[in-house]
Amino acid sequence: MSRAQRVCGLQEAAALARDGMVVGLSGFSYQNPPMAMVRALIRRRLKDLTIVSGPTSGIETDLLIGAGCVKRVVTAGVAFERVLTIAPAFRLAAERGEIEVWECDECIWHLALKAAAWGMPHVLWPGGAGSSLPELNPDLREVREDGRPYIRVPPVRPDIVFLHAAEADVYGNVRAAREAYLGRTFSEKSLALASRGPVIATVERIVEHEEVAASPERTLVRGALVVEAPGGAHPGGVSGRYVPDLEHYREYAGAGEARRRGDPVPYQRYLERYVYGAEEPEDYRRAIGGDRLEHLRMAPP
Amino acid sequence: MSGGGDVGGLRQRGGGSGRLDSRGRGGPRPGPLEVARLLTCVVARELMDGEIVAFGLHAELLLAAALLAQKLHAPNLSIRHGLRVERGADLQPAAWTSERAGRSHERVEYLESHDAILDVASPASPMRFCDVFFVGGLQIDREGSTNLIGIKGKDGRMKVRGPGSIGTTSIGTLARHVILFSGEHTARRFVDRVDYVSVPGWRHRAAAGLAGGPSLCVTPLAVFEFADGWMRLRSVHPHAAEDDVRRRTGFALPAGPVPVTAPPTPAEKTALEVIDPFDRLAAVDLAPDGGEP
Repeated sequence: MSRAQRVCGLQEAAALARDGMVVGLSGFSYQNPPMAMVRALIRRRLKDLTIVSGPTSGIETDLLIGAGCVKRVVTAGVAFERVLTIAPAFRLAAERGEIEVWECDECIWHLALKAAAWGMPHVLWPGGAGSSLPELNPDLREVREDGRPYIRVPPVRPDIVFLHAAEADVYGNVRAAREAYLGRTFSEKSLALASRGPVIATVERIVEHEEVAASPERTLVRGALVVEAPGGAHPGGVSGRYVPDLEHYREYAGAGEARRRGDPVPYQRYLERYVYGAEEPEDYRRAIGGDRLEHLRMAPP
Repeated sequence: MSGGGDVGGLRQRGGGSGRLDSRGRGGPRPGPLEVARLLTCVVARELMDGEIVAFGLHAELLLAAALLAQKLHAPNLSIRHGLRVERGADLQPAAWTSERAGRSHERVEYLESHDAILDVASPASPMRFCDVFFVGGLQIDREGSTNLIGIKGKDGRMKVRGPGSIGTTSIGTLARHVILFSGEHTARRFVDRVDYVSVPGWRHRAAAGLAGGPSLCVTPLAVFEFADGWMRLRSVHPHAAEDDVRRRTGFALPAGPVPVTAPPTPAEKTALEVIDPFDRLAAVDLAPDGGEP
């Protein structure tokens, strides 16, 4: 008997997500968002998703909200750093009461995943007492033990997790680029450990198993379903591979802000151009300009 | 980890025109670079040798300040910049930009996974998260509470949804030394009471049974300190006018003479030339005139 390969196609993997699921998305700000998968999920017109992303998330969360797929977000922030302080679809939907926000910070976000991974009914955390988080998030409670204040954090369990990384082998060992310098790993492992369902990794490139086994310290996640999707984080960057496309972020932010101010046309056009009308990877590459990714690629060190 | 830096700017990018109020204390109106350099010095002077300073990935000014401190008086300062612990001689291209030239890998001596933000650790551990933590906000109030959650309308409901508390809340309550930093100085930013609390200030901390509070707040126009848990002016920058600073602060500040912030010393100026040879500080998110009131 030979070892089973764990490789599948983008559509096939996207079909594992269903309406109403708790969906974990790895990535940190501009870094490693699983965007090819997010666009595939939007094309499936999913509804009522709870998105567990970040802990500080960006366009992967905002685009799903803007496309109407989300009812709740579990994240410490949705922002585009200096391009836009508050992500536009998140802001509009939250202000209109169309989404619920599980108010937290980065530590509490991680802790909720740890509680799930550890099988704990809750964990106590010394940070955040005196803040508005427990008052805004009914799942959090300020408690006292031995005279000290703690926040009681319940588990958050994704039904399915999507992440994007530099490389993987066909057996589901996912790894970072050797050149990763911004941070080798983000929240891939935290989400994967908390997941009660499959972990799907889109990767820039599938590499030989022998190569992975030669540097096991680079492997971040094991047992993932692997989808080869080069450029799959765009407009986000992949640590060690390519940098974020800030021009594209500005285009998206402009469309989102226009909609927030009452003109839905640019946002609709964005969705048509980059999501609905770009089902095949070539379509997307053409939409962003054929050699765009080449310009963003990082030189080898 | 994302925390420090001016994460709260609601104003448009490039909102700082560089033109300063004519009531300034004289001299030519300084541009964004000079104001950014002054603030860099102000922050650097607060960082002590042997400390660990932490801030988010987009805080170029705070990074410059840490590098300046390392160069001048704190060679053993550790810089926790996002997920990296790094050393460096000068301000490199921002990690997120596609500028590839000059980006070096050697400066990073330690990479954290993101969940290591939970490893606050004992204050005595050499691997403790940090000693000094920088925090910004959409709103900052007179007891030093910050707010990145949202702003209420007249009906008491959230009118402006903020980005979220990102990495500020927990580390902001647990760090030994919290310094507030704001890229603008307006009555919109500096309010009597924040609408929501991302990081608790002196009174919110006391109510939760925690001692202390933020020690300082640095803005493009002034430096605030805290006395009995309330903000007061420690100094006003040379290019700003005290009455303008008071007008741009949404709560009453104690009266009394306020010193002028010490301008960059010759040693600081020389070190800044080395740290920022390409004037990257001119492009940080900062309104040199305080911003549109």
